[in-house]
Amino acid sequence: MIGALKYFVTEAFLSLWRGRRSSFLSILTIAIALFMLGLFLLVSANLERTMQEWTRSAEFSVYLRDEATPDERAAIERALRAEPSVAGVDAVSKDDARARFRRDFPELAPATAGALDNPFPASFEARLGSSAVSPAALEKLASRLGVLPGVSDVRCDRRWLDRLASLGVIVRWAGLFLAATLVVAAGLTVTNVVRLALYARRDEVEIMELVGAPMSFIRGPFVCEGVIQGGLGAILALVLLRVVVDVATPRLATLAAGVFDVRTIEFLTGATMALVLGGGMLVGCLGGLAAARRLR
Amino acid sequence: MIEIEGLSKLYARDVFALDDISLRVGRGEFAFLTGASGAGKTTLLRILLRQELPTGGRAVVDGRDLATLDAADVQRYRRAVGFVFQDFKLIPRKTAFENVMFALRILGVPDVQQRRRTFQVLKWVGLQHRANAYPVELSGGEQQRVAIARALVNEPVLVLADEPTGNLDPDLALDIMNLFREINATGTTVLVATHDRELIRHVGRRAILLERGRVVEAA
Repeated sequence: MIGALKYFVTEAFLSLWRGRRSSFLSILTIAIALFMLGLFLLVSANLERTMQEWTRSAEFSVYLRDEATPDERAAIERALRAEPSVAGVDAVSKDDARARFRRDFPELAPATAGALDNPFPASFEARLGSSAVSPAALEKLASRLGVLPGVSDVRCDRRWLDRLASLGVIVRWAGLFLAATLVVAAGLTVTNVVRLALYARRDEVEIMELVGAPMSFIRGPFVCEGVIQGGLGAILALVLLRVVVDVATPRLATLAAGVFDVRTIEFLTGATMALVLGGGMLVGCLGGLAAARRLR
Repeated sequence: MIEIEGLSKLYARDVFALDDISLRVGRGEFAFLTGASGAGKTTLLRILLRQELPTGGRAVVDGRDLATLDAADVQRYRRAVGFVFQDFKLIPRKTAFENVMFALRILGVPDVQQRRRTFQVLKWVGLQHRANAYPVELSGGEQQRVAIARALVNEPVLVLADEPTGNLDPDLALDIMNLFREINATGTTVLVATHDRELIRHVGRRAILLERGRVVEAA
């Protein structure tokens, strides 16, 4: 068994080397497909994590008029805390709001330095509970709070977060569909490259058949060739993805300032990388099997 | 060893490659199959190697009816039969040693035994000094010796050869025939297809003459 495996692997590598141009093309096709898949998995995992963080942070803001009295403020806070969907309430003063703006948008901070009055309103920020709250219920809550004395505006982050989440789902499915299409194309490329190798070695296959080699012994190296192509393609895809993330992250830092901290971007987990590698090898194996099936 | 009864092979309408032939080759016998080109020698050998199925009649080798073998049986059968072809059929990217050893490898023989047996057989055909040469580096006679070594390495009960001297000059042809005689002397049945009547006369064994797909002389 081990002897046969050693033979399959040696023969597969020799064949890959002999047809290195077409093998490289095949490996590259798999790498591109798995790179796309990996990229979507990466974006999707980070998006989901960021969304969860955003969902946990202030989602429902009640902005106060500057002239609101302490009683009105207390009444508003009481009304918020009385809501079952509200998990917590934080009071943000006018100074806190300005400090936060200056921290989040440092390039705009000088614009606020010259202003005589602090233009940022005080607010109450309510965190919604983890249980789903319907958009209609949120609308109702917003209009109820909006008419309270001392309230200037009510903003609900959850509304745009929900829209963003829906958009994220669409993007994720579109990405997976694109990646799946590329993976199928990669599988077909492997099939054709292995078929070429098989054609180049048809005399050898005939001799193997004549000496009574079992079909598994004849097919083994071709299937192994597909598996190796898939594995190498997956490794190349993961390396490319790592490079892209490392190169793109600092550039994204400026672009995404104030929206999210790019330092929190996480690379694929070990399990996901193993999945990409295993997926690549499986695609290669299926391609090799499809090509070797012609041998009967 | 070989029993053929009413064997026919029809390739196209009314074109018989073999037409109702019957013959026997005994265990341990050395026989020639001869006739002009197109007489049906190669077709008969292809049927005996189970590369083709007859359209009529029966071919039984060592008790196996070749028409009834399934794919796995065919593989097992071929491992018990050595073959030698005019064009040697060696794997170009393997050395002489590896070409011979390959037949043992598929049987799952342990590595050490594979090497020992391969060396013995190459020595027997007088090619131990060329073991690491690739087919392209060998002369025609040497390539045919490697092919014979491969056919023998599994200790087959039957060796089939299709024009094994067709690409060789007369002296080398006699050398190869002497090897077949030695193989036969160990008890292996040998059936050689050749159109070279002079060679048959020189070796002096039974010849089965085919003409247009029929046995016309089996003496």
